[in-house]
Order: sequence, then structure tokens, then C-alpha cells
Amino acid sequence: MITFILRRLLQTLLVIIILSYVCFGLMNLMPGDPVELMISANPKITTEDVVRLREFYGLDQPTYKRYFNWVSDIASGDLGYSRTYRIPVTDMIGPALRATFILSITSLVFSLIIAIPLGIATALRPNSKLDYIVNLLNFAGLSLPSFWLGIVLIIIFAVNLGWLPAGGYQTTGLNYSSWWAELTDKSKYLILPMVSLSIQSIGRFSRFARSSMMEAMRNDFIRTARAKGMSNQVVIWRHGFRNALIPLATIIAISVSSIFSGALITETLFAYPGVGRLIYSSIMGNDFNVAMVSFVLSVSMVLILNLVADLLYGLIDPRISFK
Amino acid sequence: MTNVPDQTPRANEPIVATTAANYLNKAQIAELEKSQTLFKIVYTQFKEHKAAVIGAWTILVFVLIALSAPLIEAITGLDADSQNVFNRYKPPMSHIQASSDTRETTVKNFLTANPSEALTIENKLIESKAVTSTKAEDALYDWAQLDSKTALAAIKDLEIPKKHELSKMVKNFETLHVLGTDELGRDVLMRIIYGTQVSMGVGILVALASAFIGLIIGALAGFYGGWVDTLLMRVTDALLSLPVMPVLIVVAAIDLQKLPFAKAVLSSGNESILKLVFILCLFSWMTVARLVRGSILSLREREFVLAAKTLGATDSTIMIRHMFPNVIAPLLVSVTLGVGESILFEAALSYLGLGIQPPTPSWGNMLFNAQELIYQAPYLAIIPGVLIFLVTISFNFVGDGLQDAIDPKSIRR
Amino acid sequence: MKNLGLLVLALSLVVGCTKKDGVSNTSTGATATSSSGSKLTNAELKIGISQEFENFNPLIANMVATTYMLRMVDRTLTVIDADGKWVPQLAKKIPTIENGLAKITEKNGKKKLTAVWEILQSAVWGDGKPVICDDFAFAIKVASAPTVGVAEKETYTQVEKVEADPKNPKLCTFTYEKVRWDFYQLGNLFPLPKHLEEPIFKKYGGQKEGYEKNSLYSKDPTNVGLFNGPYVVTELQLGDHVTFSPNPKFYGEPTKIKKVIVKLIPNTGTLEANLRSGTIDLISVLGLALDQALAFDKKVKAETLPYTVLFQPSAVYEHIDLNLDNPALKDVRVRKALHYSINKEDLVNALFEGKQQPAIHNVTPADPWYTADPTKVVIYKYSKRDAEKLLDEAGWKMGADGIREKDGKKLSFTLMTTAGNKTRELVQVYLQNQWKQVGIEVNSKNEPARVFFGETTKKRNFDSMALFAWVSSPESSQKSTFSSKNIPTAKNGMSGQNYMGWVNKKVDQDLEDLDVEFDPAKRLTLVHGILKAYTDEVPVLPLYYRSDVAVIPAQMKGYKLTGHQFPETSEIEKWNLE
Repeated sequence: MITFILRRLLQTLLVIIILSYVCFGLMNLMPGDPVELMISANPKITTEDVVRLREFYGLDQPTYKRYFNWVSDIASGDLGYSRTYRIPVTDMIGPALRATFILSITSLVFSLIIAIPLGIATALRPNSKLDYIVNLLNFAGLSLPSFWLGIVLIIIFAVNLGWLPAGGYQTTGLNYSSWWAELTDKSKYLILPMVSLSIQSIGRFSRFARSSMMEAMRNDFIRTARAKGMSNQVVIWRHGFRNALIPLATIIAISVSSIFSGALITETLFAYPGVGRLIYSSIMGNDFNVAMVSFVLSVSMVLILNLVADLLYGLIDPRISFK
Repeated sequence: MTNVPDQTPRANEPIVATTAANYLNKAQIAELEKSQTLFKIVYTQFKEHKAAVIGAWTILVFVLIALSAPLIEAITGLDADSQNVFNRYKPPMSHIQASSDTRETTVKNFLTANPSEALTIENKLIESKAVTSTKAEDALYDWAQLDSKTALAAIKDLEIPKKHELSKMVKNFETLHVLGTDELGRDVLMRIIYGTQVSMGVGILVALASAFIGLIIGALAGFYGGWVDTLLMRVTDALLSLPVMPVLIVVAAIDLQKLPFAKAVLSSGNESILKLVFILCLFSWMTVARLVRGSILSLREREFVLAAKTLGATDSTIMIRHMFPNVIAPLLVSVTLGVGESILFEAALSYLGLGIQPPTPSWGNMLFNAQELIYQAPYLAIIPGVLIFLVTISFNFVGDGLQDAIDPKSIRR
Repeated sequence: MKNLGLLVLALSLVVGCTKKDGVSNTSTGATATSSSGSKLTNAELKIGISQEFENFNPLIANMVATTYMLRMVDRTLTVIDADGKWVPQLAKKIPTIENGLAKITEKNGKKKLTAVWEILQSAVWGDGKPVICDDFAFAIKVASAPTVGVAEKETYTQVEKVEADPKNPKLCTFTYEKVRWDFYQLGNLFPLPKHLEEPIFKKYGGQKEGYEKNSLYSKDPTNVGLFNGPYVVTELQLGDHVTFSPNPKFYGEPTKIKKVIVKLIPNTGTLEANLRSGTIDLISVLGLALDQALAFDKKVKAETLPYTVLFQPSAVYEHIDLNLDNPALKDVRVRKALHYSINKEDLVNALFEGKQQPAIHNVTPADPWYTADPTKVVIYKYSKRDAEKLLDEAGWKMGADGIREKDGKKLSFTLMTTAGNKTRELVQVYLQNQWKQVGIEVNSKNEPARVFFGETTKKRNFDSMALFAWVSSPESSQKSTFSSKNIPTAKNGMSGQNYMGWVNKKVDQDLEDLDVEFDPAKRLTLVHGILKAYTDEVPVLPLYYRSDVAVIPAQMKGYKLTGHQFPETSEIEKWNLE
């Protein structure tokens, strides 16, 4: 077990290192280096400035050397300095991670709350009208471009109805009198991004819950339980649902990571200050250190969550052993 | 639709040819018959899935529209690139008159193209008092400035050469824009149609190409096993576990022109389309590879493969002629589902400004363009969004229908 | 079948609703805003911007959005006001040769310029410590350090030394490296609070980027002692918002608004939604595109919304750089013909509803150097006939397909610009059509801004025409774009911005002379000479000057757009909502 985890961790680390180098190389292929972007924004920068700055940022060195420098900085605990925000990267990643975490988790919880009852209800009544409608909606959810949904939600709820804010994560400049005030204010900002982020996962979870529930209900022990004269409720919840949970748990663990990366567009659209938007804006703004750190961070997050999912699978289902 | 039962058994024929001819054994024939009827079952099953059938028809309609874009262009006299800065953001069903500048240029081109007939036409126009011009050389210009009805009436009874061309010219001065015009005064309908070509083209191309890559990699891994399998599957797993969107953004943001080998391939104007297809392929073959590997692994132990092996068939023959036909069915499902996904990814990347670059229209970048003035012209954002949705859901339904039909164990998952 | 039908129905309903909502259902929006509008008081003002900002260290900050906000919290010796004049801000008076505060001295055969600047007696940092000469000297010292990544270094290094009067620490003598007439234009030389930042610079200044990382501006950005302007930063959330409150120690006119919040909304499409839902009260110059502003202006008027949309001609000069190495463009007659065949008046009326002004050269009408005198510069009045005559003279004869030809070659150019910039794409289309009328074929090829500025213009990779803009300021020399020394070549590391490849020896010399000419009248003559050559040789096709746009609450007073690099926030203390 421990050797398995260690081996997987080592593999994950290797993948991260390879990927970070690839990403580093790719970022060098982006048109225009940071200094060029500076010039295009400021015509007063002189020729000497350009040469000096390029040397200053080490842009005149070959990629592998710069990569090595970067890695040794990271290893020594220095995540570098954001060229866009002019502050150490460490100071930016923390709040961004927290924001993304909140969004991802609420969206996950929200979609589970909706999807699991739907999945169970349809699994218990296959081929009913409800089943058809839910299935249709599931497909609709899976096929809806989330950013488009976001735009439509903004038009309806922020502009026309004025019920919810169009973007951001809290009312700026508000001094919260209590934690309750803070919670209500921040939740107002969370609703639209959360809904547009959840639509796809609701479809996916609901379909998955239905199939694993049906699978579970087909088991012999369900028949036995019924034969023993147990009430329907007990059969469904204690025997059916519990067994359906096993595959569900894994798909959820994997989905956390996909929600995490899917939040990128949603965050950009709703001006939500999370890691996704940070990755996008730093890549677009050629903010090398931030882009690299947040990229590596989100890749590691996903890889580690996958590892956790695998371990979870083994814990829930004793039939699976680690080799 | 009716193609499904006809075509797929034909793909199975190689097996019949090689195995049946050399190895007529009862179990084999029974298996063949079973596979024949399976496709009949597939077809009947698929027909049962109403949403899938509707989806298939929707896709067919979209494909037909996309393919007939030049035809539609010819019929309506509109083209997707011609811009008219005086008629921007016109609502749907607007009639638009060509500007006098455009009219003049058209007449000028007509005159340079037909110098011999010009004078006759001009004189006749003045004679018939259709125009008030005094000089012959002005006559056609003045006539072209008339509104189309008057202009057409004026030449209706005249005995002039090139009459057909002239009336066509005048008719083209007034255009109807069924879906209105966009931010540069281009016809939205035509752009949507060309966008259909691009978006669906990218989607289908990516799905096919990644299916192909996945097929090869999965087959190699499954067939040879050992270190080949380990290596390929490690790569597959690593790629599968990547957060798609951030990776796509990094890759999409790079300038392929900086790569020396890419320069030759990408020098054409379709650079951004090819680049996008390439990028999406790079990150969407993995599921297919896993699926194919699984099937090949189980096929490896089957009798007909062993038989072919003992008969001395080469590895490639066994894979291509004996194994692939058996993988086609699940592959088809995953291609169909892949199209929907690729369309969504194209839209997402174009929406971020990293996908198809303007002026080439795609649903994603039309959406991107529309969001700036979303309150003034919401339909510009809504139409491409709805289309993305419709096509994606259609492909998903068809994929679902195929899956149900192919996998008889699952009764409508 | 039924189910899908249902779906389509539901979908069309959604579409129908949103469409209707977008067009007619604005009454709810209007009431919502008017209620939030009436609530607007001097207690709080929320400004929306659409561009990213960075940390507030004035030495390091380089982004437009940061400059916008820096002016709320920091002052410089001088600044250009809304009327385009240099006025003192932290200084009592602008030194000149005439008032005797500036002198040209000679030391060891080298000419030097010294100027005496006296800082306002009342000027203090937010913590009550006076702003003194040492703060300027310290800023220059930090900026000159090789370990600090200052972008525009020359702003600081042009000052050789700063000496304080032994008796009065606010009386400073600046010695300038070069004798230049525009020495007093120190609008970007910000003082640094030496009493707070010196220990940090001493400790970390030796490491590369050490100062930036550890400066109080990044470690303690709400320290009041860092600011000397009307406001201080009370909350800084990078990538989201900044909160300002009045500087209690501010020495100038007291501010009226008690709290200012600048909020970043990166998606310009949602700026309007945010304004109308009350998330923000004002859209700054760094917000709406002109198209959006025009549309919103119409809506404001049609529905009497409580907003004013402001348009202010700015110093942003949209033009087309011609690549003079192109064989056809080498001929000045072709270039002139290109210019004659553009109807700029029509262009601005058709595309911008007259809210942006046509340009005749790079100097804006608000600039004292501006001239439209036909004896001083060449004016190109739209004339198809003149254009055609010139082209005929140059040997380009009309071909059968309506495009001119010479020696079997078509008169065809490629007009490149930034993809996705709608205004430029519109202009591009408009121009293509106009040139078609005189038999010039112009194809368009657009690239993403990164590629366009990062590769194409910088390396002069455009085949014939590149459409983009320069940002300038009143009375600024065009050396970097006009002088033949600034043609990008491999030799100078592809720097310099004379993308046209324009070579005119006299202009080169005039540009050098201009820098050291102290007589305003003679300067004007030099500038007009340069402009004459510029308009006569047409290395560039001037198009129009861009306008700044902003949306402010209708009740707001004292808000004046400037149209140049010193934004309206320089006079933030005049803003009033009541």
C-alpha cells in the first residue's frame, strides 16, 4: 500500500516535471516577450531600455538555462515575481486558490444535490416519462456551452431583472458587520458562476447516478432483501444507494479536478478572481512566473486528486487491491 | 440513415473472405451470422431511440446546409465577407440598399468589361427617358442610382444587349438579411452558414483524426503488450489526467510560426483552423486509445486471430483486417460523442480569442465578437450559442443511440 | 419526438425572452438604475475599469490602469492639465530660463542645465512627514540601480543630481544630464518616501528584483506614508479592486468624495450590465470601446437614463504606416494618391458619428504645436480626381478588372491591423472600398495584437500597410518614430519605431535641434518644418484621432476628461456628486 502510494507519487512528480518543462518551452513560443509587450504599451521606452530590460529579465538566455534557473528558484522556495502585478507570486496564489476552491466545492455540492436525487428517481422508474425528461435535460446540460449559458444568465439575472450581480466575488468596499452579512453578500456573487459551472456536471452526475443505481438494484442481495420483506425505503437507501455510492465516489473525485479546470472560462466571464482566471490572464499578459506556477499548481492538483480517487476506490471497494 | 445496416457488414467482409474461405468451421459461421444480425439489431435498436434519430436528421440538415453554402450564396446574392459599414447591427429581416459608391463601382466594372455594348445601352436609356442625364457616359451611372423597381421597369421594354446582366446587377443592389447584419455589416445568415462549415468541420475532423490516432496507439499497445503497452498507456494516462482547459490555452497561445517545421505547413490563410484541429487532436485521442486497447486485448485471445496467426498472417494484417472491423462499432460511438465535445472546445477557445481567428467565421468567434454589444444586438450572441447547443446535443444523442444499440446489455443508459 | 419538440419549444422560449429582454424590457433596468442612481452621494463612488493593474510602486508601475489610479494617490512636480498646459503640482512654480529659476551653465567645456524647484511647503506624505528634495534624490537613486527593473529609466536618469538647500529641505536644485528645453516635463518622476523605503533598499537593493519584492508598496500597500496625493489606498486586491479614502494630511483642495473604489471588470461586455445593476457608478476611460459608448449614448438619450456619456478627443493617433521599401510605395505619387483618395470626413461621420476627429498629421488639435495652415503643411483634401491623376502620372493605368496595372503588375497592397479590434476592422473595410474606387486593390490581413506588435510591425514584416495608433502627449518630439536612426534593423536589435523606413536627413537634424531649442517660437518653426516634410512625403497616412470615452452619473460635477497621458484623476479633488 505504502509502496504503491510512493510509486504513484513519484510518477506524478515525474509527469509534473516533464509537463512544466514542456509548458516552459511552449510559453517561449508565444509571440512577443514581456519586454515587447511593455513597448507596445509604452512608446516612450527607448532602445537602450529594451536591451537593458531583456538582460535584466534574463530573456537573452536559452530556454533550458532559464528553465533550470526557474526550477532552482522554485526549489529554494522562491516562486518568483509577477511581472504583471509586481508582487511576489506567493502573495497572489493563495487568495486565488481559495476563491477557486470555494467556487468548485459549492458547484460540486450544488450539482450533487440536484443530480443524485434525479439519478435515483430515474433509476427506480426506468423508461417512465420522468426518466425521458430528465435524460433529455441531462443531455441538454452536457451540450450547453457553459460560457454561453453564463452570458445568457448575465443578461437575464443581472441586467434585466437586476437580481444578481454580473461579476466579481463580493460587494467592493463593504465592511461586513457580521459573518452572516459576509456570507450572504458573497453567496450573491457565487450563484451565477456556480450555476453555469454546474450545468455540465449535473448532467454527467445524474446520468452516472442513474446507471450505477440501476446496476446496484439489479444485484441479487436486493432481491433477497425484498424477499425478506424489508420496506422499499430501506431497500433503496440502505442496500441500493450504498452500493451505488462506490462508483459514484470515484467519478466525483475525478470530477473535482475537471470542475477545477473548467472554472477557467467561468471565472474569466464572471470576473471571479480564481486560479483559472489567473492562468488565463497571466498567459495572455505573458506573466511568465505566474502562468508557470499556477499552471503547474493546477496540473499537480488534478494529478493528486486522481491519485486520491484511485486510493478512495480501493478504500471503498475492498475487492480492489493495490499492486 | 439506411446506410447503417448496409455499410457496416461490408466492412466486415474481409473476415468472411479470409476466414470463411480457409476455415469453414461451424462455430465460425455461426459467429459470422451472429455479427450480421447484430447490425440489424443495432439498426432497429437505434431507430427505437427517437432522440437519436432526430439528432441524426438534425446533423444531416446541418451538414447539407454547410455543404451548400456556395449555392446559398449564389441564390441569395449575399456573401459572407462583403462588409457594409453603413448597415451595421441591422435586426433580422432587414432590407438593405447598396451604397452609391458600390453602385458606381459596379457600373464602372460593367463598363470596362463591356466597352462595345456600353454606348448602345446608354443611348437607349436616354432615348427612353428612363434617366435625365444629358451625357451618354453618365446614363448608366444615373440609372444605377435609381431604386431597383424603377430601374428594372426602365429597362424592361428596351431592346438592349446584356439586359439580363443589368437586371441582375440592379437586383443585387437590394439585399435581404434574414438574420440581420453583424458589427461589420456582414450578413449574419451567411456567416452562420460558413461558420457551420468551420465549426462542424473542425469538430468532425478532430473526432476522426483523434479516433485514428487513438486506434493506432490503442492497437499497438493492446497487440504488442509489454513495454510498448506500458509506455503508450503511461503517456495516455498522463495526458488524460491533465486539466484540459489550461493546457489548451497554453498550446493555443503559442505562435506556431516560431516553429521552423510548422512554417511550411501553416503558411496558408487557414493557419488558425489547422492549428486548432492539431491542438484539439493532441488532447482528445486518449479515450479512444484506451477503448481500442481494451478491445484488442480481448480480441488477441480469440480463435480467429489465433487462426490467422497460425496461417502466417503478418501483425499488420491481423490488426487491420481481423481486429479493426471488430473495433469499429465502439469506435463509431466514441467518434460521434467526440464531435460534440470538439465543437464545444472549439467554441470555448474561440470565445477566449485563441481559436479560429477572424475574419474566418466560426460559431465560437461569432459569439466572441457578439459579446461586446450583447445588449444592443443580443441575437448575435444567441444564434451561434443555440446552434452550438443544437449540434452538440444532436451528436450526443446519436452517440447515445448508437451506444444503446451496440451494447444490448444496457437498456438505455 | 415529443420530447425534442418540447425542448425546441423551451429553447425558442428562452431565445424569445432574452431577445425581448435585450430590446424592450429595459424599463426594469431603468428603474433599477434610477433607484441606485438617486442613492449616489459623496459617501462612495465606484469606478469600473476593464484593464489589469499592478502594485502601486510608482517606479515600477507600467500599466495604464495603474497610472490612472496612481494620480489619485501620488503627485509629481508638474502635470498637464485638462486644457493641455503644463502646470505645477507638487512644485510652487515651473522653472524657466525667463523667470531665472533655470540656468545653462558650463563646466569643463560641457553644457549643463540646472533648475531650482521648490516643493510646496504644505506638501506632506500621508504619515505627516514632509515631501522633500531627498525623496526625489532617493527615487532617482533607486531607479538608476541595475537591480531594479524600471521600464522608462530615462525619466529618472536624465536628472544627474538633486541637491537640497542646506536651510530649506524643500528647495531643490536639479542638474540635468542634457540641455533640453523640455527638462521641466517631469510628469512621471515620482518621489519615493525615503523615510520608509530607504532601509528596504539598503537591505535588498543588492539583489536582483530584491527591492521590488520587498518594497512596502508590495508588502504593506496600504501604508499611508507611501502616498502624497488627495487619497490613500486602504485596500488593494490585485486583479479585483482598490479602495481609496481621503488622505487626512492632504495639503490641497479637500476632496469631496469620502470613498472611491476602482473595480476591475475585465469583460467589457459586462461593464454596462455592472453599471446598470449598480455594481459600479462610473465607467472610466479604460472601459468601453467607442462602439459601445455610441450605442450606450443613444440608449441614455432614448430612455433618459441618469448618465452622461463623455467623448473627449485624445492624443491617440490612428494612422497607417506605409512600408517605404515596397516597390510601388517608393513612388511618392502613389503615396499621395493613397492619401487623396481617403474621404476622412465621411469616414468619421459614418463610423464614429463624428465623435472622433479626422487627422491631417500626427499632432493633435489640442497641442500648441498643431497647425492646419496650408502654407505650413500639405493638406490632402479628398479628391478622387487628384488621386487618379497622380496614379496615371506614376504610370499605373486602369486595367480591365478595375485595378490599375504597370508593367503587368497590379497595384495591390495588403493592409494589416490587429485582429479583433472592431473599430480598426471597420476602418479597414471602409478604406478598402475607397481605394477600390480609384483602382487600387487593398487586401486585408489581420493578426492578433501580440503577433502584430510583437513581430510584424516591430520587425517591419508588413508588406505595405500597417494600421495602428501611437499615443503621444502635447509638445512631444517624434524622434522615436520619425528619425532614420530609429528604423528597426538587426543592428540595433530591432528596436526603434520608424516602421516606415522613412529617411529624411533634414528631419533627422531638425529632430536633434528641436531637443535643445529653448525658444518656443523657433521650436514651432522646427516642428512645422518636420510636419511639412511629413505631410509632403507621406510616409504615413494619417486617419483620425481617437476619442476617450467615459460614462459618468448625470449628477456628477468637476469631472473632466483630458485626452492625454495624465488622466482625469489628476484633478480628482474636484469631483463632486452632490
